[in-house]
Amino acid sequence: MSTRTELHYAFALAALCALDVAAADAPVAPAHPLDAPAALKAAFAERIGHPVNVLSFGFGEHYAQALVQNAAAPDEFDEYEAVPGRPLEPGRPKKAGEVDCRKKIAFAALDLDAGARALAQARAAAAANGYKTPDNVTLGADVFCNDFGWRAILTSDANDDAMLQIVWAPDGTSPKAQELHDGGWRKVDVAKLLAGSAKVAPAAPKAEPKTVAGDGRKRDFRRGIDADLARLEAEVGAPLGFKHIGIDRTQLSVDVFQSANRKRVSTWLVGDDGAIKLWREDDTIPFDCNKPFAAGDFPLAQLPDLVADAPSRIPPMPQAQVKDVAVYRSGLCGRPHVYIKLEDERGYGNVEYDERGRLVSAQIQ
Amino acid sequence: MAKTAVAKILLALGASLMLAGAVAGAEAPGTDYGWPNLTDFLKQLIAKVGAPVKVYKLAMDRDGKVDLWIQDQAHPDLVDSWEYDHGAIEGPIPVKFDHYPSIAALDHHVIELTTIDFPRLPAMLATARTKLGQPDARVVFIELERGDSSGFISVTDTPIWTIALDSPRHDGRVEFDLQGRVLDVDKD
Repeated sequence: MSTRTELHYAFALAALCALDVAAADAPVAPAHPLDAPAALKAAFAERIGHPVNVLSFGFGEHYAQALVQNAAAPDEFDEYEAVPGRPLEPGRPKKAGEVDCRKKIAFAALDLDAGARALAQARAAAAANGYKTPDNVTLGADVFCNDFGWRAILTSDANDDAMLQIVWAPDGTSPKAQELHDGGWRKVDVAKLLAGSAKVAPAAPKAEPKTVAGDGRKRDFRRGIDADLARLEAEVGAPLGFKHIGIDRTQLSVDVFQSANRKRVSTWLVGDDGAIKLWREDDTIPFDCNKPFAAGDFPLAQLPDLVADAPSRIPPMPQAQVKDVAVYRSGLCGRPHVYIKLEDERGYGNVEYDERGRLVSAQIQ
Repeated sequence: MAKTAVAKILLALGASLMLAGAVAGAEAPGTDYGWPNLTDFLKQLIAKVGAPVKVYKLAMDRDGKVDLWIQDQAHPDLVDSWEYDHGAIEGPIPVKFDHYPSIAALDHHVIELTTIDFPRLPAMLATARTKLGQPDARVVFIELERGDSSGFISVTDTPIWTIALDSPRHDGRVEFDLQGRVLDVDKD
């Protein structure tokens, strides 16, 4: 080994030793943080080493994480992490612009006993009501920067849509609970929750999507959709009242008003192998154009020719390809027009034909 | 294009490019930005497209790569991108717009290359760091474009240099006019 190589090794060894010394000097997180919250807080205090405010603190037995603000420099934020039994790493700067909510408490007021009690209560409530055991609780504000406190989120294996939130004051008192219901939050009585009388709702049965296997023939819908509309009509079992028809090379998307309830719209997809699938069903949108049109109300038979002809309608886009085609009522619920979107290497173009296949407009977008 | 014509254009660009070229690849302490060799880039570009060069947008990234959008003088309704990566030039690459600007809007938007005072850039970068109070901030990007919303006239209807910087604790950007005057400072 050359002298130079030996020197490199010596420097590398010295650097590693320095790192070890640094780690040896670092405070160590307790092996069981939930049983030793005071020791965990002391480890954070030593690692941080200066007065800070706490914006958030995640607390569980496997991991703790703090986002703190330098009390002497309100624009400086750092994140610290603790893993049980391991030395705490130095803090990582967090960009001020990434801190959306600055609700906080002084580090001295951080009550990890309260956090441990909150987590125990959340786990008891979860076990009593069929939710999954939460891993941790987090001190902080909600997404709207309100309601600063300890927070547990309960979810369920039995119902993907179920979510329950319990929030305590920073000192672990005054628990409040609410569950997600119909897209909003609904209050839940904490006493009932702790007594096991607020069981997670079972998941609503989900109907299997209605599908019809394809016939194996490969399609390019830009070359015609009449045969597939006839297949779809046979599947629906009633004349199709269209709201919107979307066409690209590999997929035909058809929004039709339901014959039994004109305030509901079904979206059917036809794949390029001919497979038909009921993709979704929605309520109509108030004040939208909800007047159906029929296959005879737009130039269905001419459609392949109109599509093929569209690029020639915009001379500055001689190499344009047809990107997609749509048929829907024009303007304020007028007659159904055909809208063809073109694309080339520099941009997009739009060609519109009326209900009789006459050109309405052709222009670069 | 004749060599003499290229030389005239480069002369018209003046000592500016010499300075920009002089700082190319520089790694001065506290200013860790490796300036691209704009002299070389523009010399290569002019040899390919000729004069005048009308700049739709100029962007330099953190690594010193340059993306220059110019109006195609043979087809003034079109914009091409030319990329420069440490000596290698690539282009023309067609620029695709969601909504293509009209020729009038393009004519208004573009900036004559000869009006761009490149040697101000190092000083502008230093000013940006000072204004943001971040002496060690790194360049995220440096861009020049007229502030008229990509071809649609607006209140900020002048060419604007934007120098975006970041540091472990902050992001920020400082805008300058072509004379290097500070227009706006935005620090998170």
